[in-house]
Amino acid sequence: MTTLEWLISGLLCVGALFVLLGSVALLKLPDFYTRLHGPTKATTLGLGSLVLASMVFFNLQLETLSLQQLLIALFLFISAPVTAHMLIKVAMHHKLKHHHTTQGVDKLPAD
Amino acid sequence: MALLLPWILSIPLFSIVILLLFRQLSRNQQTLIALLAPIAGLLLLAPMIPDLLQGAVFQQQWQWLPVLGLQWTFRLDALALLFSFLIFGIGLLVIFYARYYLSASDPMPRFYASLLLFMLAMLGIVLSGNVLQLWMFWELTSISSFLLISYWSHRSDARKGARLALTVTAAGGLALLVGLILLGQVAGSYQLDVILSKGPQIIADAQYPLILVLILLGAFTKSAQFPFHFWLPNAMAAPTPVSAYLHSATMVKAGIFLLIRLYPAIAGTDLWFSLVSLAGLLTLLTGAYFALFQHDIKGLLAYSTISHLGLITLLLGLDTDLATVAAIFHIINHAVFKASLFMAAGIIDHETGSRDMRKINGLWHFMPVTASLAMVAAASMAGVPLLNGFLSKEMFFSQTLHQSVLGALSWLLPLLATLAAVFSVAYSARFIHDVFFNGKPIGLDKIPHEPPRYMRVPMEVLVALCIGVGVFPQWLVGDILLAASTAALQQTPPAYSLALWHGLNLPLLMSVVAFVAGIVLYINRKELFLFQAGFQSTLAIHRFEGQVQRLVQRCRQFSQWAEPGRLQWYIAAMLWATVLLAGYPLLQLNSLQGERGLLPTDWFSAVLVVIMVLAAMATVIWQRQRLLALIMISVVGLMLSLLFIRFSAPDLALTQLAVEVATAVLLMLALYFLPHRSPKQSAHATLLRDLILAGSCAIVVGSLAYLMLTHQADSVSSYFLANAKSGGGGTNVVNVILVDFRGFDTFGEITVLGIAALGIYKLLTGIPRFKPSADADGRSWALDAHPLLLRVVSQGLLPLALLVSVYLFFRGHNLPGGGFVAGLVTAVALIMQYIAHGVDWVKPRLNLQFSALVASGILIAWLTGAFSWLFGKPFLTSWFDYFDIPLLGQIELASAIAFDLGVYLTVVGSTLLILANLGKLTTRHKPEHRGQI
Repeated sequence: MTTLEWLISGLLCVGALFVLLGSVALLKLPDFYTRLHGPTKATTLGLGSLVLASMVFFNLQLETLSLQQLLIALFLFISAPVTAHMLIKVAMHHKLKHHHTTQGVDKLPAD
Repeated sequence: MALLLPWILSIPLFSIVILLLFRQLSRNQQTLIALLAPIAGLLLLAPMIPDLLQGAVFQQQWQWLPVLGLQWTFRLDALALLFSFLIFGIGLLVIFYARYYLSASDPMPRFYASLLLFMLAMLGIVLSGNVLQLWMFWELTSISSFLLISYWSHRSDARKGARLALTVTAAGGLALLVGLILLGQVAGSYQLDVILSKGPQIIADAQYPLILVLILLGAFTKSAQFPFHFWLPNAMAAPTPVSAYLHSATMVKAGIFLLIRLYPAIAGTDLWFSLVSLAGLLTLLTGAYFALFQHDIKGLLAYSTISHLGLITLLLGLDTDLATVAAIFHIINHAVFKASLFMAAGIIDHETGSRDMRKINGLWHFMPVTASLAMVAAASMAGVPLLNGFLSKEMFFSQTLHQSVLGALSWLLPLLATLAAVFSVAYSARFIHDVFFNGKPIGLDKIPHEPPRYMRVPMEVLVALCIGVGVFPQWLVGDILLAASTAALQQTPPAYSLALWHGLNLPLLMSVVAFVAGIVLYINRKELFLFQAGFQSTLAIHRFEGQVQRLVQRCRQFSQWAEPGRLQWYIAAMLWATVLLAGYPLLQLNSLQGERGLLPTDWFSAVLVVIMVLAAMATVIWQRQRLLALIMISVVGLMLSLLFIRFSAPDLALTQLAVEVATAVLLMLALYFLPHRSPKQSAHATLLRDLILAGSCAIVVGSLAYLMLTHQADSVSSYFLANAKSGGGGTNVVNVILVDFRGFDTFGEITVLGIAALGIYKLLTGIPRFKPSADADGRSWALDAHPLLLRVVSQGLLPLALLVSVYLFFRGHNLPGGGFVAGLVTAVALIMQYIAHGVDWVKPRLNLQFSALVASGILIAWLTGAFSWLFGKPFLTSWFDYFDIPLLGQIELASAIAFDLGVYLTVVGSTLLILANLGKLTTRHKPEHRGQI
């Protein structure tokens, strides 16, 4: 295994780990507000790592110019926070139940 | 000169177009334009007259649908010339007359356009050299006469009369069509020349009786022969110029013309003689009898017309050639005197406001000139010597004398003919005496006076013709009568003389008897009226209307049964039809397994399929929680597009993805109008029914798919693969198929898409404005409807998305992409703006007429296709070439890209037309009816 291959493998593993962690968070965390962190933060990070791995593989290993991954990353980093933002707004509007340890509940709009 | 024939037909068309385009012209100008058609027609005919009188036949033809034996053939002989003269001549006078008859509130362009359309249709009949073409114009006369009779469409009697006339004549027309087709098959051609020359062969054919009956049905309904005569009196609701034209010279003569035209081909058998002469005789007597009892002047004239048509038909049914000559002669005479009588009736109606002969009496004192003219015309109708009606009536009498068509009862013919003449004299006497003498007018709204000077001119011309033909018959009509008879019989008719005085003979005696008896009958009419009043009369129109109402009701019941307005019902019907139609052939097969083996199991696809199945099941299970169901069905779509990629169909995957997004938006919008949760309402029986239906569909469609996939059939796809680059100039076969190989399909599809979008738009405008103020749980909507973050990001994404769509569009010909996907991406990007910013923000910034976008898309696609016509190539022939452009290098340009642009625009327009307007429903920018579509 060359250094490059070690690098790609490392990136893939890190990416997979974060995606997995995001999914576990979605399953395990107690309420909607905390659950949202998993898919929006951890998974996005994991996906970013995977995209990076793909870029390294195509550009350095195969030595072909491949920039689509940049575009994918861009769209990903735009859409994930906006989605999270919208979801949280809806949740707050709907006054979803929260776990007693969840922070920032006092900021929910009062009736 | 034959080249002029199509022009004769197209001039009325030209006038129609001008009349309808320039509606603001003055009444006189409109009349002039309308007059142009008959005048030009007569001028065009003039140079051909000498040849035609010598027996020449002009013919001009083009291929139309040669496979069906259908060609445009225009054929002018002396018989057609005679009828063209009547059509143009009387048409000319009627147009002139109508200028003064119609009131200022009657729309002139519509009247003249319908009249000219009718004129064109009649000319089409007489000039046709192909019986199918003749039939087409025949039905056109039915339609245009419907428009003319219902001209005063605000009047119920006009609408009913027009409907009755159309039903009877068009139904007869259908019988005629069948008859003509059979005739053409027997003769081996639909060309008139061939049919006329094959008379003996047609008569000998086993199908001859059927052919004859069908053709006679067509002719008798058109010419108001007993028992189909009832439509004619009801058609009198038409404006009087229309009656003067249609019911004297043209429409009702079309049936007679057909009989004369086909005389050499189908006449001369016992069946012909008995059917035609009996129908004619009955019509002659019925018409004459009932004419006497009409109180309406036009009613009297209508029944008199029926009677005279019966006379002509009877003549055609007599087995001598001379009778046919007499029939043609009487056609001329009847057209002339009846048109002038209708015009007189119109003047009287116009100046007195009534047509009831019990009210309008003694008009002689108010309008002596009109009265004199009308009296001369009426005398001609009665058959007074020195007038044209006398001559043809004498010919008729002499023809009835030596007949054998009724076998041993033929001696009845002269007797019944005289009886009809007695009534004819009586009703003519009633017309003259009741209207112009017989005391003073009773209860009229206005004091009658002479009509405008020029309104009388057409009548004067016609009455002058009555006298002229009556005194100098040989000099005025001798030549054309002989030539027309020769053309009709296809041989020289026996010798006859058109003289006024034939010496003291039996026909003259019959005339004298008819006169004396007619006058006596009229004087003693009170007894007869009392006798007639004893009958209970049900009007034909009421019976017909009753039938129509019943029919309409039954149709309504049927359509309510077949279209109950429940989507479930429609879908169920469609699915069951699929199951039955596709399932039945499957029963005939032995095995589903084809010669192709199965692919090895591939875990990736298997996982996708399992997710897809689970999501589909989840959709059904959670169908009552609509949002969840929507998400589940999106999962199905996403898995499908992944599967497409897996099996190397990137184009399909791209399209599927874009469609998924658009569908999700559409469904979200639809959910807005639906309750968020629906109560459980399906009964168990319904559930079972749906389960059976869905299961059957799945079984049949699944089996079909398996069958298709395992069979190695020769398909067209190898051709596409081989020729995409060389023939269509693109390496993306899918795209080349869409825009090139099967471009015509695509053209049809985008047209359908556009129509569907417009239809949805139209439906949306009908939805009442409705905006729930809170969701299902009673929460009010969020105050921050358009969050800042979403606004900013979506606005930033718009150029990127548009760039992507442009990229997809241009690379479509060679790589996955194309106009359809690009259009969807653009539409979704724009819809995103609506979602993020709201209609209020987008509306001033995106000033696009979506319907215009759809139209321009279809137009561009069409123009691309039509462009190849310029090079003499078929529609949508594609073209491509390579160009060297500095900096960019070699570039390929294909005409298909313009076509694809049309597809793109149509898709964008349609999607936005649907989605944006559905979204607008929730806002104050609700789509509305603007004008009438």
